[in-house]
Amino acid sequence: MTEGERTPDLARRAYRRKKIRDAALLLPLLGAFLLASPIIMVFANDGKIFGLPLPFVYIFGVWLGLVLAARYMARLLTED
Amino acid sequence: MFSFNALLAVCLGYVVMLFGIAFWAERRANAGQLGWLRSPFVYTLSISVYCTAWTFYGAVGSAARNGLEFITIYLGPTLVFIGWWWLLRKLLRVGRAQRITSIADLISSRYGKSNALAVLVTLLAVIGSTPYIALQLQSITLSFSVFTEGTENANLTAFWVAAGLAVFTILFGTRNVDANERHHGVVTAIAIEAIVKLVALLSVGIFVVWGFAGGIPEIFAKAGDTMLHTEKIFTSRWITLTFLSAAAIISLPRMFQVTVVENADEKHLATASWAFPAYLLLMSLFVLPIAIAGNSLLPEGSNPDLYVLTVPLHEGKDTLALFAFLGGFSSATSMVIIAAIALSTMVSNHIITPLWLSINRSRKVTSGDIRNVLLTSRRLSIAGILLLGYFYFRLTGGTAALASIGLIAFAGTAQVMPCLLGGLFWRGATRSGALAGLGAGFIIWAYTLLLPSFEGAFILSSSAIENGPFGIAALRPYALFGLSNYDPLVHSMFWAMTINVFLFISVSLLSTPRPLERIQSSQFVDVFRLNQDTGSFLVSRSATSEDLYTLAQRILGTEPAHRLFSDMASSQGKSSGLPDPTDDFIQKLERELAGSIGAASAHAMVSQIAGGGTVSVDELMKIADETAQIVEYSQQLENQSRRLEDTAEQLRQANTQLTELGAQKDAFLSQVSHELRTPMTSIRSFSEILRETEDVGSEKAQQFLGIIQEESQRLTRLLDEILDLSHLESGRGNLQIERVMLAHVIEKSLNSTSLLIEEAGVKVTLNLPDDPLCVMASFDRLSQVFINLITNAVKYGLSDQPEITITARAVGKMAIIGVIDNGPGIPPKDFEKVFEKFARLSAATLAGSAGLGLSISREIMRNLKGDLVVEPNSPGAVFRVTIPLCTET
Repeated sequence: MTEGERTPDLARRAYRRKKIRDAALLLPLLGAFLLASPIIMVFANDGKIFGLPLPFVYIFGVWLGLVLAARYMARLLTED
Repeated sequence: MFSFNALLAVCLGYVVMLFGIAFWAERRANAGQLGWLRSPFVYTLSISVYCTAWTFYGAVGSAARNGLEFITIYLGPTLVFIGWWWLLRKLLRVGRAQRITSIADLISSRYGKSNALAVLVTLLAVIGSTPYIALQLQSITLSFSVFTEGTENANLTAFWVAAGLAVFTILFGTRNVDANERHHGVVTAIAIEAIVKLVALLSVGIFVVWGFAGGIPEIFAKAGDTMLHTEKIFTSRWITLTFLSAAAIISLPRMFQVTVVENADEKHLATASWAFPAYLLLMSLFVLPIAIAGNSLLPEGSNPDLYVLTVPLHEGKDTLALFAFLGGFSSATSMVIIAAIALSTMVSNHIITPLWLSINRSRKVTSGDIRNVLLTSRRLSIAGILLLGYFYFRLTGGTAALASIGLIAFAGTAQVMPCLLGGLFWRGATRSGALAGLGAGFIIWAYTLLLPSFEGAFILSSSAIENGPFGIAALRPYALFGLSNYDPLVHSMFWAMTINVFLFISVSLLSTPRPLERIQSSQFVDVFRLNQDTGSFLVSRSATSEDLYTLAQRILGTEPAHRLFSDMASSQGKSSGLPDPTDDFIQKLERELAGSIGAASAHAMVSQIAGGGTVSVDELMKIADETAQIVEYSQQLENQSRRLEDTAEQLRQANTQLTELGAQKDAFLSQVSHELRTPMTSIRSFSEILRETEDVGSEKAQQFLGIIQEESQRLTRLLDEILDLSHLESGRGNLQIERVMLAHVIEKSLNSTSLLIEEAGVKVTLNLPDDPLCVMASFDRLSQVFINLITNAVKYGLSDQPEITITARAVGKMAIIGVIDNGPGIPPKDFEKVFEKFARLSAATLAGSAGLGLSISREIMRNLKGDLVVEPNSPGAVFRVTIPLCTET
């Protein structure tokens, strides 16, 4: 790598880290929106998916998604 | 079924194993071989102390009664942990920087190390936790009774369990006084228990789904239509429970103990942020299937809180039931152990020790004394807390459902949340505000939730609960000010939290913090600006190396900033990335920036970023931009002024030249007028004589007219010459340059001057090359030059035997012609002077020359791209003419 190629990289990384932190703040808000806001009422019915109750699938699905997203975020946040 | 003794043996065996693990871990820790004991997964598993017997047994009970509602107890912690960057990270950093030992210590430290607050939080914690500990004892005795069918004495079992836990906790929880010394033995044992309870619950779940029902859709098919209670999703209770559980994961004393106090490395939190929610997910995955199985299998009226045990027993899976029992036992014991450690620290640090110190104020205190007092008080506290839990268990006798007791404790400890969050993020929060909010929240919680839960057995009578104290309906605990039709939990939380937050904020705004509070408030709120090693303020929360880099980039430019930061990073031993914002680095950066914007500005800017100023980073960037612009602008100004100076210098030089030229012009004009006056004077004199004298003879008149004509001609010639010179000097000579044979020119010149030559008796020698030289010139002008030179030579080359030699030769691309005389010559100092206008070297001039001849000749030669110079000869002078030869084309 030449000097010229490396220079903007540092600034870009600083910018990227800022964005990751902003995303880290967004994740719990997203979780709260999906699990503790009226949006959950959309799925709170007696519908079934593959024989499983819809609200059960929705809540555990969102939960799993949040776990995976948190794992990804944790890796990004502790990169350096 | 197992006998009571067999069950006891299993329990004892399990406990002995835990002792062994804790002992082994302590020894390894003491030997400094921590290894995986410090791994982030041990940390995560220890956090799962959140899942108590209430979770293990009670969640299934809750699911059997209220469907999916039990999930809210896990959703709150999940949201808090995936948002670790917001809150938990800060909490951990504060805990480390301030060497916090408990939640009471945290609150009291934040608000100026207030002991009143510490005592209040400790009381709240003890009051909230005692029922919770009783709950664990109850769940253990209940689970015992499932196996032994009530043959044993429940109270006795509870007592021995409490005593055993007290011994374990005292042994492994009070080895060190310093609470910052982590309890490796306890934490390792808790982590093992976390695995046991998870695997136990998963085993029961897997058995229920695949062993009993035969598949996932099948188990859900067994659920009644109302089993899921979809109408209970997203009610006010749903929101309240989510909020409460989120608050509990931070404010419960045991959670604070494992999450903050026992944390060995901040990075472990990053792993826990997803691993703990994943653990909770697994713990709750089979809760609903087990509840469904219990509801469909067991007779009406069975206790749903024990489905985890009764379902496998009903199906004849005794070993699985025993494993499940151990899981429940693990859940209960781990909670009690950690809660006892956390509470004993609080009680001994904030209640017993201050009391002891005030009693023994007169005594001289030595450090060993305090240590012994602390250890003793902590051990006594542990015993006391477990005893309290046991008495609570004896009092209530296991009346209330497990879940409701847990929720009451949650609601109580959640009261510290406003002053905790406010303390971490709001500088303006004061001790008075915290005391007012916390106190009010505590009282309202106790009145609307805790006391009524005793159902008339404690302080509040049944009638007071039903109709309000002294029959005042507005003060009914479950319908304060007539706010009825709400779940008691939601009702209590609404009043307690609203008034808590309102008082906390308004009293904070109205009160003035003490100096210590101010210091502590910035130490908490700006914890990320603290230098971790020295504890002094250095780097701000968000303004880390990146911000410094951006600042440096704007001031120094991208390239130098990059070089500076890379150098510092490598000198700090980092292969890539930005350097840590250490003291050294910031000083160096400041010095570098000082080179660009001055020391004062550099210090102001860097300390604004690195220190604790109120100016935001964005504003700083603006300042930096402006500075950069000013620097650029001043550079431009400098350039322009330099250019102006250059121009001025040139102008000065031009002015000098002009002045010189003006002086020359003046001299020239005076010479010209002088030269013109001479012939004019004689013309005027003679013409006056002719007009005024009547008897002038015709001969005389002829002579006079001759003189007048001669002078007029001289005048005309002089004017012609001046005009000619002026044309030549201004480059408007318009010379017709053509190929000219040099010999012809010289021949013509000699012819023109032959009369003069003969008269003076000068001998002329021609020394021309055999090859005729061809030059680029104007024939007439070149002749004019030679005539002038020959005339001069004749006139000034005075000697006894005057002689003129004309030589010519080609040198390179030039022809060089010499006109040589053998007269007196010209002194070298006058070599340039002879070419000046009207220059006469001596009085020996002949009439007819105005002294412009040589000036004109030199100008002609220069216009012909040649030159005319004078050189010395012995004797005499040499006028050397150079002129370009004809080109071959």
